[in-house]
Formats: sequence, C-alpha cells, structure tokens
Amino acid sequence: MYGNCNMYLNVTPHFQAIKVVQYNINTEELYVILKEFIHILYFRHLLVNPRDRRVVIIESILCPSHFRETLTKVFFKQFEVPSVLFAPSHLMAIMTLGINSALVMDCGHTETLVLPVYECTPILPAWEALPLGGKAIHKELDGLLVEQCTVDTDTTTGQSVPAVIGTIPEETVEDIKVRTCFVSDLQRGLKIQEAKFNLDGTAERPAPPPDVDYPLDGEKILHVKGSIRDSVMEILFEQDNEEKSVASLILDALVKCPIDTRKVLSENLVVIGGTAMLPGFLHRLLAEIRLLVEKPRYSDVLASKSFRIHAPPAKPNCTAWLGGAIFGALQDILGSRSVSRDYYNQTGRIPDWCCLSSPPPESLYEAGKTPPPLMKRAFSTEK
Amino acid sequence: MASLLQPDRVAYLVRGEKRIRAPLSQLYFCRYCSELRSLECVSHEVDSHYCPSCLENMPSAEAKLKKNRCANCFDCPCCMHTLSTRATNIPAPLPDDPTKTAMKKAYYLACGFCRWTSRDVGMADKSVASGGWQEPENPHTQRINKLIEYYQQLAHREKQERDRKKLARRRQCMPLAFSEKYGLGTRLQKQRSGAPISSLAGLSLKEGEDQKEISIEPAQALDEVEPLPEDCYTRPISLPEALLTSLVQVDLHLFVSLHRTSSLKPEFNPTSIKFKIQLVAVSYIPEVRIMSIPNLRYMKESQVLLTLTNPVENITHVTLAACEDEDPDGMNSTAKVIVPTKELVLAGKDAAAEYDELAEPQDFQDDPDVVAFRKSNKIGFFIKVIPQKEEDADVTVSFKVRHDFRNLAAPIRPSEETGDAAAEAIWLVQNVELRLGPLAP
Repeated sequence: MYGNCNMYLNVTPHFQAIKVVQYNINTEELYVILKEFIHILYFRHLLVNPRDRRVVIIESILCPSHFRETLTKVFFKQFEVPSVLFAPSHLMAIMTLGINSALVMDCGHTETLVLPVYECTPILPAWEALPLGGKAIHKELDGLLVEQCTVDTDTTTGQSVPAVIGTIPEETVEDIKVRTCFVSDLQRGLKIQEAKFNLDGTAERPAPPPDVDYPLDGEKILHVKGSIRDSVMEILFEQDNEEKSVASLILDALVKCPIDTRKVLSENLVVIGGTAMLPGFLHRLLAEIRLLVEKPRYSDVLASKSFRIHAPPAKPNCTAWLGGAIFGALQDILGSRSVSRDYYNQTGRIPDWCCLSSPPPESLYEAGKTPPPLMKRAFSTEK
Repeated sequence: MASLLQPDRVAYLVRGEKRIRAPLSQLYFCRYCSELRSLECVSHEVDSHYCPSCLENMPSAEAKLKKNRCANCFDCPCCMHTLSTRATNIPAPLPDDPTKTAMKKAYYLACGFCRWTSRDVGMADKSVASGGWQEPENPHTQRINKLIEYYQQLAHREKQERDRKKLARRRQCMPLAFSEKYGLGTRLQKQRSGAPISSLAGLSLKEGEDQKEISIEPAQALDEVEPLPEDCYTRPISLPEALLTSLVQVDLHLFVSLHRTSSLKPEFNPTSIKFKIQLVAVSYIPEVRIMSIPNLRYMKESQVLLTLTNPVENITHVTLAACEDEDPDGMNSTAKVIVPTKELVLAGKDAAAEYDELAEPQDFQDDPDVVAFRKSNKIGFFIKVIPQKEEDADVTVSFKVRHDFRNLAAPIRPSEETGDAAAEAIWLVQNVELRLGPLAP
C-alpha cells in the first residue's frame, strides 16, 4: 500500500511506502501496522497535530470493508481526528479536470477498475474490473527473467538467475519494469502476440529492442533480454478466453451505461493509476479501443465511435489524490460531508455504500430528538 | 557472550491498555501513577519544528508556509544523505573587461557519502553560498489553483443553501400532500454525511445570483496521444541516465513531547523543551540482566547467573517470586524457575565510589548459595531453571520482582505533620520475562 498524503493547500504529495502484505491478515495485526504507518505520516512527514485536521481518504470502491473499518478505528481511536471522509478515487479524479462526467479507468497494482461517472454520480452497476495490474506484470516479468536471462558475477558469466541470487526481490523487478520496459504500439504488439501464440507456425516476431545490462548489488549484472522489454506488457492487452483485456473493460462498461450517457462518457476518458504511467500505454490503449469497437459485439450496440482522452494536471498515480486534495481544500462543506468523531463514537461504524444498515444521520443532528413522523406535520397548526 | 547483554533478552511487563513487554531501556516511569509506561501509553504532541541538519529552529507558522522544508539544506537524490556546499574557483570573464579572466567563486552541492554532485545532472554552479538553489515550480500550479477557486465557490454556494434550508425547516407546516406534489419529501433531500459527492453538480453556475462568477474551462479531451518515439525500439539505454535530476529539500523534524494528559502551551524556545514524562524507567527501576547461562537440558535443573542493578541512591530491598501456574503474566514461560526466597539487599548507587579508595567494604552478609558476588550497587544471584519443553528454541522464564520505591520526584502534598521530609516507600511489583536461548544439543 503506497500512501500519498498532504495537508490542504499544499499541492505536492509526500510519498510513504509500506508493505501491507495481504488483506486477509487478522484485524489486530492490521491495526498495529496501520497505526505505525499513520504515526509515521503524522510525525515524520506532516508534522501536525492530528486533532486539528480533518482527514480525506481516497479509496477504491472495491476496498474490503474490514480494512476500511480498521483504518477508521485507527484514525478515530488512536489519533482522535475530528472527522474522516472516504472519497472514491474515480470520483476524485474528475475533480482535477473541472468536468462532471467521465469514464474513469484506474490501472493500479492489484487490478484495473473502470467506473463511469455521470454528472458527478458514479454509475455503480456499470463497474468492470480485471486482475491485470502491476502485480500481474511483476509476476510475468519475474517468470521471464528467471527463465530467459543470465547473470554475470565478478568471477563467472552466463549464470542462470536462480543459481546466483535465488529469487529476485520485488523491488528489483519493479525497478526493471520501470526503467527498461515499455508498451509497443498496436501493430507491433499484435505481431508479438501472434508470434507468441504461433497459431499457424509462420508468424515472426518483430526485431526486439537492444538488451540492457541491469546492475544488481555486489558486482552482479543481470542481462535483460530485449525481447522481454517490449513483450511483457502484452499481457494487459492479450485477450484471454473470455476476450477481456484492459481495453475491452472500457467498452464493456460503456455498454452497461444508459444510452444517453454513452456519448459523453466515451468522449471523456480518464486514465489514472501507476500502471498507466508506462511509456506508450495510453497510445496503445486508445488504439486498442478503436480496434475493438469495430468488432460485432460492440459495433452493434455502441453508436458513437469517437473516443477522447483527458490529460489531468498531475501524474496518473497522483491524480485521484490531487482531486481529494482539492476537495479537502473546501473548508465550507468538508465538515458536513465527513463522518465526524461524534457520529463514529455513537454508532461505532462508518457508512459504506454496500451496507444498508447505516441509519440516516438526520436524527443525530437534532440532538436527542427523534424526527416527527410525516403524518404529524399534516395536522400541525404551526405557522 | 555479549549476546547475553542484548537489551531484548530481558523484558518488563507494562500494564497499560494493552499488555506489552519491552526492555527497560525503552520504557518510562510515570511519577503520578508509579507504574511503568511505554510509548503506547503516551500521546504524542507536536511541539516545535527544527531542521535536523542545520539545527535551525523554525516557528510553526513559518514551517507551515515553507511546507515543512528547510530552505538551505538539501538531501542527495541518490542516497538521501545531507548535501554539503563546496566552493571552487573558476575562471570567469570580468564584467568590465571580457578579455581578461579572473578567478570567481562558484558553489555546487556535493554528497559526502555517494560522491554525487550537482554538476552530475547539469545544474549550473551558483554564485552565492546559500539561497541560490530554487525548487522548480510545478507547471500545473496555476490550473490547480483555478480549480480550487472554482470549487470553493460551489462549496460556498452549497453552504449557503444548506443554511437557508435549515432556517426554512423551522416553518415546516406543509401538509403531506403538498410536499408530495413537489417531489421528494424534504427529509430525503438532505445530504447524508458520507454520501458521495453527487450534488455539487446540482449547484452549477446557472443560477446567476452572485455577481462575481468564476467559471472554469473544463479540460479538453484529446483525440490523439503522443506515440512512443521511433527510436525507443532501437536505442540502447544506459541506466544511470534514469536517475533523479531534482534536488530534494530536507524535511523538518519535530520535537515531540510525550505526555498522557491534557496539553499545555507549546514552547517557543527549543532549548527549554522538557519531556513531560521525565522519568526514564532505567533510572528508577532495578534492572535485571543475564550474566551467564550454563547448558540447559530438558528437565534438568541448571543455575543461571543474573545481575540486579540498583539505579537509585538509597538502599533497595528486592524480593523475587515465581509466577503462579495460573498467572496470565507467566503464560509465555517454557521453563520452571526457582528463585531465591530471601530478600536481596542492594546498596545505593554512589557516583563517587570508584574514586574513593578508602571506602569501607559494605557488610551485607550474603548467602553464598544465593548471591554470587556484590559490587557497589550491583549483585549477582542464581536462579534455578528447569526447561519443560523438549524441543525448545528459546527457553523463556518469567518471575516477579518486588522492590521498594521512594518517590522523591512526586509533588509534595502539604501534610498536616510538619517536618515530615522523608518520602514514603511504596512497594512495586514488576513482571520480568527472560529469554535464555536454546537448549543445549
């Protein structure tokens, strides 16, 4: 879990990384890890008193509930913040653009999630997701490196990777991905895929880019083969048996949206998330969408074939955070839209979009009084 | 054998909200409740800001303005070590006479640890020693500020409407049919806390109430995205180019004062900051340390030599007790322990003892079976350990230490009896857990 945080009116994020290994670790451990993480955030980076500042948390709508609840508990019980607001990342991303509707795709680490937003309201039934993100790329890259690449040490050359260093640490795999890999354009990518699956035995792969010598610590050098550099990202665009790729997610989401919204949404695509920062990703994505929309299953359903993409004023991995920061700067309404500490202490939980049992909070605003039933007002003689 | 002196071998129990075991060196002692406290039991308070490299104290308001960054200090982008400014003499043309050159001082930043310099990334040398290095501006700042202004206007409008609705609610006497005719009941129109940010859209600037309207240009979507450059497929890349090229300013650090109760006003002068929990546990609680462990064998009694050190200047009496079977504090122990039953007496700590050659030997009459040696304020004593588990990677024992404590730092309550200067001794019980290591093979 990587956290960006800052106080309002500072528009540069601080990065703080923490390894939260799995979501299914038990709640106490999660509580301790989150507590230390937030402690470092407050007392090493932000240098403010937690009791003075309201908190806006940008979350994915698919975030597991118990993670959310534990995080809220850490904030309210341990740090005693005045209020907390959970803002969906897709919604916050459009606040950086000054528009009200967009089809937002978040290409993150664990998954890619598409959610359309129309007139500032997420169209929840139209969500689409695939587990193709940074994690899947790392796994594929790790497999290819171990299988195909060699390592030179100061005494030997041409050793296989497991013989020299065992497994490659995830940070190194990520570093290799960021520094050497890229997404090929459509034509090249299709040829690479054909050669990989080699259905009719004649496809030839285009010439690979040059190999790269990647230095590992201790005078070891890992030779990254050129063919890995341009082909590892193809897993995002290869369509598996269900014919799903990150590009088809967008079209599937569009199909699920109401007809009158589709034109507006297709002309306002927003892509956020770290995986979207790969060189060549956006260009390839647009090309793939334009290719797929000609296929019968989409061309019969979607009338408008024009797709346009936005460029938010921040790097894709910070865009949702920037939207949240802008929202956090709206002091007038932030309080009324957040969950206050009093509400949390009284009810013991935070409202969740998937949980129907949250009571309406109006009864809490009029302290102690229950709202009169509507019938009573019909007979009231008050003026 | 130095591993026996590792602090985490001996852990003391802290009875706070959660029961924690920590080495004595990491614990505090609260003088109000006479109990051990750990960092978990205290609440942190932000006091004042300082820079860890130049030690400059910055008032909080200024720190907020400068975004918690020191203006003069920078970190190396490679290794995060603090950069130092170096000066060289370079020949530069004189402003009056371009043909003659003279030596001028130029300053650049260099890292003493990884040998990175600001010249490596092409940053020009500056002519002033400090203050010349500027942070690059974010190219999107203007747009972001405009967006913030626009949304702030919408938010203000929303607040006004909400306030208006609150006032209007007082006069609710519309019959049910009336409100039905006009759509949703007023109750459903109120915004729920935690609801998605939907209704900002409803407040678009169509209602021309305000004179000054800040309109925002919505971002234009692009039809085309730049493709990868052609040479991406053919150009060999050399990795050092991919390193960061911007300077990283040093973060300010914080003086944090720890306390348990309500906060006091922040200090302005960093030299006068005092920790509000002033008692570090090591200065008040006798410390147990392991001195030597024989080979531990399963179900065989062995003698372990421990030392007990008295940190205060008075004589301290210590009694040891084994934990009962059902004692929850002794749950982790994997061996039975037999502790000496007699009371151990520890001499007071005398700072001048090592210089005093004519000191009288202390006469304590120690039982040689229990006390191995005595040296000023420290004694060594034996405990008997019987490991209970056969395949044990770490034999753990726990026992209670009961000692007397004189709270000299406690606030002196005005008492009826005048002349009562001596503080009362109270008995404290600490629960200690020792990790003795694996069984001998």
